[in-house]
Amino acid sequence: MRSRIYTIIRGHFKSWYRSKSNIFWTIAFPLLLIVLFGAIFGSGSTKFDLYVQNQDLSGNVPTVLSQGYVHALNQTGAFNLHMVAAEQSDPLTFVKNDAQLHNRGQRLLVVPLGFNATVMSGKTATIQLFMDQSDQVSASLRGIVNSVTVSYAATIAGAPDNLVVQPVGIVTRNVRYIDFFIPGVIGMTLLTTGVFGAVNTNGRYRELKIIKKLATTPLSKIEWILGMVGYQMILATISLVVILFFGYAIFGVTVTIDIYTVGLVVAAALLFPGIGMVLANFVKEAESADAAANAITFPMMFLAGTFWPRETLPDIMKIIANFMPLTYVNDGLRDALIYAQPAQALTNTIIALGLAAFFIVLGSLLMNWKEE
Amino acid sequence: MSDPLAALLPGQSDRVVQVEGLSKKYGDNVAVNGISFNLTKGEVFAFLGPNGAGKTTTVEILECLRNPTGGRALVLGYDVSKRSDQAEIRKRIGVLPQDFNAIDRLTVRENIDYFGAMFKQQLDADKLIELVDLKDKRDAQFKTLSGGLKQRVGLAVSLVNDPAVVFLDEPTTGLDPRARRDVWGVIERLKGQGKTVFLTTHYMDEAEYLADIVSIIDHGQIIATGTPDQLIDTHGGKKTLIIRDAGQEGISQLPPGLPKAELRNAGDIAIPLNNGELTSILMSLAQTPLHDKEIEVRRPTLDDVFLNLTGRRVSEEGN
Repeated sequence: MRSRIYTIIRGHFKSWYRSKSNIFWTIAFPLLLIVLFGAIFGSGSTKFDLYVQNQDLSGNVPTVLSQGYVHALNQTGAFNLHMVAAEQSDPLTFVKNDAQLHNRGQRLLVVPLGFNATVMSGKTATIQLFMDQSDQVSASLRGIVNSVTVSYAATIAGAPDNLVVQPVGIVTRNVRYIDFFIPGVIGMTLLTTGVFGAVNTNGRYRELKIIKKLATTPLSKIEWILGMVGYQMILATISLVVILFFGYAIFGVTVTIDIYTVGLVVAAALLFPGIGMVLANFVKEAESADAAANAITFPMMFLAGTFWPRETLPDIMKIIANFMPLTYVNDGLRDALIYAQPAQALTNTIIALGLAAFFIVLGSLLMNWKEE
Repeated sequence: MSDPLAALLPGQSDRVVQVEGLSKKYGDNVAVNGISFNLTKGEVFAFLGPNGAGKTTTVEILECLRNPTGGRALVLGYDVSKRSDQAEIRKRIGVLPQDFNAIDRLTVRENIDYFGAMFKQQLDADKLIELVDLKDKRDAQFKTLSGGLKQRVGLAVSLVNDPAVVFLDEPTTGLDPRARRDVWGVIERLKGQGKTVFLTTHYMDEAEYLADIVSIIDHGQIIATGTPDQLIDTHGGKKTLIIRDAGQEGISQLPPGLPKAELRNAGDIAIPLNNGELTSILMSLAQTPLHDKEIEVRRPTLDDVFLNLTGRRVSEEGN
């Protein structure tokens, strides 16, 4: 049995690497997308993103000194300042979400309540700067904030040490667009290779009577499906490794590979071929099945947040996205590879595995091995 | 009453295939209607009939791809309707499905190995390549081959487990005449090796050329079975004397007292021959202006057999 499955895997794999268009769509195309999207959206501004919460209000209006400080920061031209409302009680969470949504750096500077009064009384006011120490720009950003603070203190009070910046370490992933995009490209590649691979092997091989021929040998339907899934797992692993290596080499994208990544690759290698098998059984002609596969994969690719965060979608699309299996694979891969959020990765992996089990079982049940 | 098939033990008889009252219905449509036949070891058996006659349905029942709705079929003594027997049948049969293609991007040899790996034991791929005369194409990818060569790969693949019986479903359909001849050559070689072959075809000449036994099937029923000669002798009708290019004028020049002659499309005169009449007709023709025309005697073919049995020619069915 093992040798039969191995033969099926090897046959698929040889057919794959001997086809230039297969290589293009599974390897070259995703890399091309990464370069293109990375170049278009990755360059961004050379200024540092900095969220600022000015808590020092007087009758809903920022106090003079606090306002002056923020103005001084802005004057440097080194920052893209994003103001956080003073009534925001959990500014860190707000910043985390907002920064991810807009692909900004996660850094927050808090001007405390009483800033104006403290400085006026000649005491030392402390400004908190929340940022990740591993943030590549942390040193230069802190340097600029410090020098602005020192010179501002000197200007207003003549005492440079009247104002202190207290750096507060937070653990964030400073997610750039490219960091966000790479797991999406992996998800997209797993989707297309899985769906189209299954449509091809179960639709076209049926037209060519290869499946009929195999059904007259001792090979069983289960062995055939296991062979196909095994091949998909190898292909998924190759895609993952190539894309991650490329992302690291060209854009310095670093990732965490953990058990969830493995779980998601396994889920994808079952889920997407499962969807392809279901399609191939409903749409018998190989060409129509191909068209059906396109009709399913393209909307899923866009709605499931492959290219842009789903938060930017209209509400109705967000709801539809919740029903897209790719959504859970994409989210899971991002949680696992980029955001280092094991709890969320686990949830998404479990959902993806559940969907995988459903589709592969449905596809297997629907697939006619014999000719009835 | 004893069951005619009951005495048979798997693998212990010369009866390779035994079919008794076999039927297959799809809803109200009866594809195969109570057919019976036997196939003996070492025989080339042709199942002959137009498209839609029930040939492929029958052969796919024997290959365990479809379940019969009535009757019984044993292959090598195993019952095609029993799940446990089906596994035994699959190990021992070779199949070339109609319109079969191997895997495009695998080479000839890789394809043979691929399908061979589905069985516990397989024949040496190179020997099979030699048998089907594809030595030069051993390492060529399947997709680069012509139709005839592809079909020879299919034949090699169908033999890879050294099967006790080979089912070839329309093995030459869609091939040009030369490629057909080449495939016939391979089947003749199998015959020479004593292989048992079950062949379905709608080509009368193919059945006549290759088969030891022919069963003619039409509308799901077997209408005649026998050796090609027996079928022709029994159902083919009379031999025909053909006078070439004689035209309408030739008919008026025929001596009196001959059986009724007819003019065929190219201007040939066809005269049905009764046994023993040939010499006297030739002698009487020698006295007429037709004496210098080209004359031949045409033996009836399986085509005539089919025509006489059904009132139609197979070619009228769009084949």
